[in-house]
Amino acid sequence: MNTIICHIPESLENNIIRFVYLLRVEGLRIGNSEVIDALQALQLVPLDEREKVKTSLKVTLIKKAADYGLFESTFDLFFTSPEIREGLRKLRQEKVEEQTKQLKEAGEVLSFRGEKMNLSEVEKTVYSYMPEKEKKRLMDFLEMNESRDTLQRDYRPFLESLVKGRLRFWHKQLHQEIEKDKVSPDLGDEDLNSIRDAAAGSGQGGSAILTEDMQHIARKDLPRATALIRKMARLLVTRISRRFRHSKRRRALDLRSTIRFSIQYGGVPFRLRYKSRRVKKPRLLLLCDVSGSMIRYAGFVLQFIYGLNTAVQRIESFVFSENLERVTPYFQQGQSFESTMAAVVKESDVWGGGTSLHKALHTLLMKYEDELTRNTIIIIVSDTRTIRHQEALIELQRPKGKVKEILWLNTLPLDEWDNYSTVTAFQKLANMFPCNTLADLERVMSRKLLAG
Amino acid sequence: MGKVLADVFETELIRLQCYEGLDENKSLYEWNYQKQLLKIQIDKKSGSTGQLETDLFSPDYLLERPLLKAIQADRKVVLLIDEVDKSDDEFEAFLFEVLSDFQVSVPELGTIRARHIPIVILTSNSERELSDGLKRRCVYLYLDFPGIEREIEIIRARVPEAGERLTAEIARAVNYIRQNPEIRKKPSISETLDWTRTLVSLNRDRLESSDVDHTLNFLLKSRADQRVFREKIGSDSLVKNC
Repeated sequence: MNTIICHIPESLENNIIRFVYLLRVEGLRIGNSEVIDALQALQLVPLDEREKVKTSLKVTLIKKAADYGLFESTFDLFFTSPEIREGLRKLRQEKVEEQTKQLKEAGEVLSFRGEKMNLSEVEKTVYSYMPEKEKKRLMDFLEMNESRDTLQRDYRPFLESLVKGRLRFWHKQLHQEIEKDKVSPDLGDEDLNSIRDAAAGSGQGGSAILTEDMQHIARKDLPRATALIRKMARLLVTRISRRFRHSKRRRALDLRSTIRFSIQYGGVPFRLRYKSRRVKKPRLLLLCDVSGSMIRYAGFVLQFIYGLNTAVQRIESFVFSENLERVTPYFQQGQSFESTMAAVVKESDVWGGGTSLHKALHTLLMKYEDELTRNTIIIIVSDTRTIRHQEALIELQRPKGKVKEILWLNTLPLDEWDNYSTVTAFQKLANMFPCNTLADLERVMSRKLLAG
Repeated sequence: MGKVLADVFETELIRLQCYEGLDENKSLYEWNYQKQLLKIQIDKKSGSTGQLETDLFSPDYLLERPLLKAIQADRKVVLLIDEVDKSDDEFEAFLFEVLSDFQVSVPELGTIRARHIPIVILTSNSERELSDGLKRRCVYLYLDFPGIEREIEIIRARVPEAGERLTAEIARAVNYIRQNPEIRKKPSISETLDWTRTLVSLNRDRLESSDVDHTLNFLLKSRADQRVFREKIGSDSLVKNC
């Protein structure tokens, strides 16, 4: 499908390229050959028939069913009337002006002794979204400190970090609202900018759930998220079983067997016999953090474990917070996920506690040492926030040499990793991957885990 | 789809069923080893060995497998590569050459170019993600479950003996079951058709809850799904909603 494109009106060609650019900015992988295919397809359909044009673009540009939602919403916003486009442009302009104004105001208000505080744009934005009551409380706090004249000079950074801490708290609370209103970065094309803004505000079907922080997935979207997780688990299961099944492929000639078999043909090797290579299946050992801060993630991850357990026999599952607990038997009873989870939560002593990874690892090494073989892959799901992390590091060093690999799925968003010293520390001993969104989980499971 | 296309173009359908371990020998060509050995034995006895080496690697000793057959066909054929996700990564990479240049290389014979570029359909059940390279060479079409109206049309076309009321109720019931996120293996169209045929053979003209209970195994093929159905949907509620 790689002939030269001709006969396409230039404006259409430009439009398609801009449309593809927009899809690429949204994260879709579309190569040049797909664009050429799309342009070729458009030569074969009447351009005034919207549905045919849409289908042609969809089948040539999109190669993953999960991306259909994003394609549909982007298509509807991109190929629209000039009036609507103008409306979207105006809307963005107003939004940009409003947010600039809010940022300026927040910058001026959040000052100490006449000097502006050193706050990032995100922090200022969070302030502007805070409820009026909370804004006032923060201002009162600053004012109260302002009037104290006995304060030392280095009190300012301390005060600043207190304010930042408060803003961080509110960032977590208002995350969804802020993201929804966020003005997307300038793409150098006003039309594309406004379309991106509109797409972000409307949410984008399946992809939105995939890229949403698992902690923030709305209750109404849970069944869809669950279905996605099940699908991922099924994919992983088939890949594991496929990858590590004994090979039936003809690898090498089995000379001994061939000669023995050829005796019946007077020594002529009429039928060749082949040896097949045996490949061992890996043993998966899952350690899932179910401490208070991890509960929401743990729900998703246990869904995933449940999915795997229903199809793969050799998974040992543990949950931990202040100590470690083996939960494999719950998953082997063939109950529904709800009953399994209800049983785990009811029976578990560790559900929702604080995190002591060192103790959990210690118990693992003491009680379940037999599970740690050269063929074992340990998967830890945790946000790395644990007490006594130095001791946890020492404990983690012990299985490191015994097992095939230690994978760490970190539920902290990637851009927050630098803020926690524990992340850097554990990274030295385990292969750490972000696992904050379902898309992350999918990526880790489909590529990294199976590459080993 | 392959059959319909072959009918439309009035041509032959060549099918390659993929499975784990499928390789070039089974999909493209294989030398007829036994025939070659027999030829050697015969020539040894008759004493003529002159042209033997060239003869042994001629098309006479080549066993054509579906891909080579499709490429060497005298007319444009439809090539159905079914369930490509079940094959291995190596086989997928091998398909690149066939699908991009429509040619294959047989070391002893050289490159064989397609006489007529076949219409190729690859199907996948998404058991694994296909490589970008393979997808780049294809147009991608995701076939979701049909809506109620479409499924009614399908049942009418394939099981015309089913009454109007039964057809509509079955389509709505299957759609209702598919909506439940806890059902893992959602009933496919062919299972809908099997279920319809079963009910027709029981002389039913409408959906009754007792029939649903007795024939559920035509629709849901795992114990877990049947349990979810009984606990979360129930045959009475299904019949009421359809």
